[in-house]
Amino acid sequence: MNDLAAATAAPLTGAATPPKIKVRDVHFYYNGYHALKGIDMDIPEKQVTAIIGPSGCGKSTLLRIFNRIYAIYPKLEAKGSIELDGENILDKDYSMNRLRTKVGMVFQKPVPFPMTIHENVAYGIRHHEKLSRADLEIRVEQALRSAALWDEVKDKLKQSALGLSGGQQQRLCIARGIALRPEVLLLDEPTSALDPIATGRIEQLVEELKHEYTIVIVTHNMQQAARCSDRTAFMYLGELIEFDNTEKIFTKPGKKQTEDYITGRFG
Amino acid sequence: MSGSSKEHIIKSYDDELIRLTGELVRMGELAVSQLEAAIDVVDRRDERAAQHVVHNDDAIDQLEQEISHDVVRLLALRAPIAGDLRNVFAALRIAADIERIGDYAANVAKRSIPLSMAAPLTPTGGLAYLAKLAAEEVREVLRAYRDRDAERAYKVWQDDVELDEAYTGYFRELLTYMMEDPRVITPCTHLLFMAKNIERIGDHATNIAENVWFQVKGEPLTGQRDKRDLTSSPEPVKLGNRPE
Repeated sequence: MNDLAAATAAPLTGAATPPKIKVRDVHFYYNGYHALKGIDMDIPEKQVTAIIGPSGCGKSTLLRIFNRIYAIYPKLEAKGSIELDGENILDKDYSMNRLRTKVGMVFQKPVPFPMTIHENVAYGIRHHEKLSRADLEIRVEQALRSAALWDEVKDKLKQSALGLSGGQQQRLCIARGIALRPEVLLLDEPTSALDPIATGRIEQLVEELKHEYTIVIVTHNMQQAARCSDRTAFMYLGELIEFDNTEKIFTKPGKKQTEDYITGRFG
Repeated sequence: MSGSSKEHIIKSYDDELIRLTGELVRMGELAVSQLEAAIDVVDRRDERAAQHVVHNDDAIDQLEQEISHDVVRLLALRAPIAGDLRNVFAALRIAADIERIGDYAANVAKRSIPLSMAAPLTPTGGLAYLAKLAAEEVREVLRAYRDRDAERAYKVWQDDVELDEAYTGYFRELLTYMMEDPRVITPCTHLLFMAKNIERIGDHATNIAENVWFQVKGEPLTGQRDKRDLTSSPEPVKLGNRPE
């Protein structure tokens, strides 16, 4: 097969890439409420996986299990296994500190720390690593550059992060997330509070970051899932209904429930 | 609606999609009526009526414009996906096919004018039969489109072979006439073009059938369709027997 034929024959999306995260029979309970009912899915490495579904379907819950953020609340329980590079992160012996350096997360509303722009990024690095001042500066700059924010903030690094626009704050949160050089980046509706231009910048950033990170994005915006993901998962009532290449989901979904939801027929 | 029988949460979206289907079916019916009117004027040798048919093609072109406008509007404002996207995409393609069918019907009417000026030496019954087959084919594929019935569309796709065969037969018949009497070469040549136009209408009906299939199934209609238009085959054409 020649190069061109090989390129055109390759699958468009993640199916052929190795899974970074293997989710197996994951159940989740909130105070006894069965929120996730046996989720099985493989999140492909260095690709963007979008999770869509109506409110309350469990998509954010699933995302929050990927970095065990639920563990800070009492009476929440996850069963099953989530293997990150072959190790079960739900295992009690899996160090939370290690998990947090491997899996970064960005939330719906940008929540910069009430500190300077520089400190927002440097804070996490200092917590996890002992770097010289010069190395720390390099890491802060790298993170801000990767988050496509450097040019806008390089002259005001000592100013409060709270003075940035919403879109800039969200990119700062992404910079903060990638400053620790994680392997997986979780984005929970990262643009729902942003205007279309700031949203476009974040989506462009996602496209650039996927070459280095495995990205999982939860979104209510169908077009966003269509625009920036390689694979899309549709969840409903705590179950994974369909998980396939994004192109397939948005042109010819396999399940009627998926079609009804993405075409706005869900009642 | 293709893909789902449920209504959209936004009712006006459904109204727009239903209107699009209605416009296409109306456009298709108009094109079939044009074909039938064209054959009627051939039979009646009515020049004014023929010009009327030619003029009426503007209405089909106008409908195509409206459909294109509605499709662009739907794409821009509704951002359709999955079955809705296939629905809108298919509508645009089907409209283009119907527009061509209208053009062919107008061509038949246009050629009926010089034909009516020649002596009525050649029987036109074969042409009427071709038109009858083509009209039924288009009507049937429009029903398949309206009902989102892929199997019905598939049958039309397969059955176009009958029109091909009838066309090949008529081609041979006209050749026979021309060989026997050179005075009929001019009217027979017109009839050959008209017959070819009608045969092409059948091909557009099969295109519509393919789009109905894609719209419903989400995949192209593949496989070889049986074609029996043998008039361009390198084999020498067998001449038909002139009816006594």
